[in-house]
Amino acid sequence: MRQPLARELHDLIERGRDRQLRLAVTGLSRSGKTAFLTSLVNQLRHVGLEARLDLLPAARQGRLLGARRVNQQDLGVPRFPYDQAMAALAETPPRWPEPTRGISELRLVLRYRPAKRGWLGSESRQLTLDLFDYPGEWLLDLPLLAHDYPSWCRSQEALAGEQRRAHFAAWHTAVEALDPAAEADEAHLAEIAEHYAEGLRAAREAGFADLQPGRFLLPGDLAGAPVLQFFPLPAVAEADPGALATLPPESNYATLARRFAYYQQHIVKPFYRDHFRRFDRQIVLVDLLGALNAGPERFQDLSRALANLMQSFDYGKRSLLSRLFAPRIDRLAIAATKADHVTPEQHPRLVALLEALLAEPLKDLRFASVPVRALSLAAIRASEAREVEHRGQRTPALRGTGLDGEPLLLYPGEVPERLPDDAFWARQGFAYPAFRPLTLEGGALPHIRMDAALDWLIGDKLI
Amino acid sequence: MTEPRDPRPGRRFTLEEPPHDRPRADDPRPAEPFDADLPSQALSSPDDQAAADALEACLAPPRRRRWGLLALLGGSLGLGALEAGLTLQAASLGGDWLAGAWSLLLLLALGLGGRALLRELWRLRRLRRHERLRERLAALPDAETRAAMASAEALREGLGMDEDHPHWQGFVAARQAHHDGRDIQLLLDHHLLAPRDREARRLISRMSGETAVMVAVSPLTLVDMALVAWRSLAMIDRLCRLYGLELGYAGRLRLLRSVLYQMAFAGATEMAGEAGMDMLSLNLAGRISARAGQGLGIGLLSARLGLRTQRLTRPLPFTTQEAPRMSDLRSELWQQLRRLEARDSPDARR
Repeated sequence: MRQPLARELHDLIERGRDRQLRLAVTGLSRSGKTAFLTSLVNQLRHVGLEARLDLLPAARQGRLLGARRVNQQDLGVPRFPYDQAMAALAETPPRWPEPTRGISELRLVLRYRPAKRGWLGSESRQLTLDLFDYPGEWLLDLPLLAHDYPSWCRSQEALAGEQRRAHFAAWHTAVEALDPAAEADEAHLAEIAEHYAEGLRAAREAGFADLQPGRFLLPGDLAGAPVLQFFPLPAVAEADPGALATLPPESNYATLARRFAYYQQHIVKPFYRDHFRRFDRQIVLVDLLGALNAGPERFQDLSRALANLMQSFDYGKRSLLSRLFAPRIDRLAIAATKADHVTPEQHPRLVALLEALLAEPLKDLRFASVPVRALSLAAIRASEAREVEHRGQRTPALRGTGLDGEPLLLYPGEVPERLPDDAFWARQGFAYPAFRPLTLEGGALPHIRMDAALDWLIGDKLI
Repeated sequence: MTEPRDPRPGRRFTLEEPPHDRPRADDPRPAEPFDADLPSQALSSPDDQAAADALEACLAPPRRRRWGLLALLGGSLGLGALEAGLTLQAASLGGDWLAGAWSLLLLLALGLGGRALLRELWRLRRLRRHERLRERLAALPDAETRAAMASAEALREGLGMDEDHPHWQGFVAARQAHHDGRDIQLLLDHHLLAPRDREARRLISRMSGETAVMVAVSPLTLVDMALVAWRSLAMIDRLCRLYGLELGYAGRLRLLRSVLYQMAFAGATEMAGEAGMDMLSLNLAGRISARAGQGLGIGLLSARLGLRTQRLTRPLPFTTQEAPRMSDLRSELWQQLRRLEARDSPDARR
């Protein structure tokens, strides 16, 4: 018991001196969190040698000496599988790292020379960077904390778009026959919950993002437990709340509400408390191109999911006290990932589209006076920007290898600056290609604007 | 006795309809629907640019084209050459060798004068080109990648680097396909200009220190003045060459004028802010000796002149954090004078 206390104290002192940062890498599933973290560790590991981090002033001026992985403080949490991810990238042919299936942590110690030596400053200083990876599916449980069961049912009912409803057809027919007031039948409820989980999985495959509850998609060690056997009741949306409250405890409604409350209290809350409360900096990764590929309904879905999500974090200015006892996010980056899948001159439009997508949360952040920067990045660049002469005109192009190994040289298409209207989707739509990673040639991973992101997130601590 | 009067009966007024067909001159303009297919263009914004230009033209000192002077110079050169040529011809015909030699000499002098004039004009043009380069580099953040690279090439040529220069090579290695104009500006600043900045700072520190020491040890005021003028001009010249600017006589005058102008107006606030520190160090130096105090004062002035010149000639403007500051130079100056005094005082005692 003594050692954790000492460790806590050490952390407290480090935080007080502002030598420790906790970085939240936030993103829905398949937005590139694992690639971002792998690349971040890789770049910082190779800084000053092969890594090209020219937009990070400390690295450009040669003051950043390097980084080392150290043992994280919580020994109960697995370490971030950096070596496995690098091994996947180094295979022939290279492949993308496996998607995350559980929580993992990572602690990096950066060593740098301060630009100006202070009174007590030594030759070099250290900055501890805490990172943490988790399945993006679980992230959407955080907005769940703001609901009770009836309001959750109503919010889920409001989501139903045409394509989304199609995935839940089996569940809809099953749940329509269910009477909220009838006595609960365990097996029957489990069956309907399974239909619901299947619907969620199908919707995820189809590219939808706003999928609650997240554990239904990746149950971890909870598979089969009754806590994962609940679902929204569409009938509740129209019912009178007073009448619902008087239903007997063994009714369907009361059983589902109890499970929902248990899920909130015993699964989501600990997850939030242990991992999401104490952040200083945040980067929100958004796979815009994937959403554009999937179509307008899924794009709206993504926008809603992100807006809900960003309400779950504390933003605000930091002071010494808040740094120690109630850390808040005082700087935020929003990034459109996979920028290597479009040609470089489209990057400004990608950023404009990202800002349009997050317009509402950005207004709240502006109100909280939190500095935000929007950028486009590719944590692991998988293509090469070229130029081709085609029908007498020079046009930019990308060269890379497709996922199934065929070489590609193409112009992937423009990115719209705002979401196009329905007629455009019917007419053309988007089809951005997918690339597999470039063959690793020793040294650092190629990237696009990882250095700019790092500068925004930690650059002010490396002075 | 008057009869009580009946109350006045009610009376109905007719509401007179205002005439619709004839709007009066002071009425607001009525609505006017247009056909939806009528072509329309974006509402033209008020002509801000023209207004700004006009304002600038008003505020800027009037640009004097010295046509008279130019005509006088060109005319006398041309006419003199013609006259000398005619005389030479006449002399060769008439056998008046002395007059021929004189006119030959005159032709030579005119040729030399013309060449000096042309070179001066050429260098003035280079100064103007340098100003254009500064404008181009300042507009880099909005530039396209291709245009930004062209500006980078222009800067490389302006600084007199060839393709294999290590600084340029560093820039080329750092540049990536996805960098936009702002990133390129950052990289140029770091790879091409930062080494020159370090050199410039060393130069200013050394030369102002030397000036300070010279003034402190020289016995005559008149010599002091000449010395300071000569050293300052030399410093400006070398700073300009460092940033790829070769100055002629007129260019030097023009630059010196704008440097002094900057120091008088733009630099006044900065000076006022630092005056306290300057006074303090002068006071300290005055304790050691009056001559050291004088030297420090001149050294500070010279360093300030150097910094202003650097700020004016650097192809990219400094960002606020990295701009060199007086306070760094002051301590170095102080150190140099202290060393001088320390060497001086044992001799004095002996």
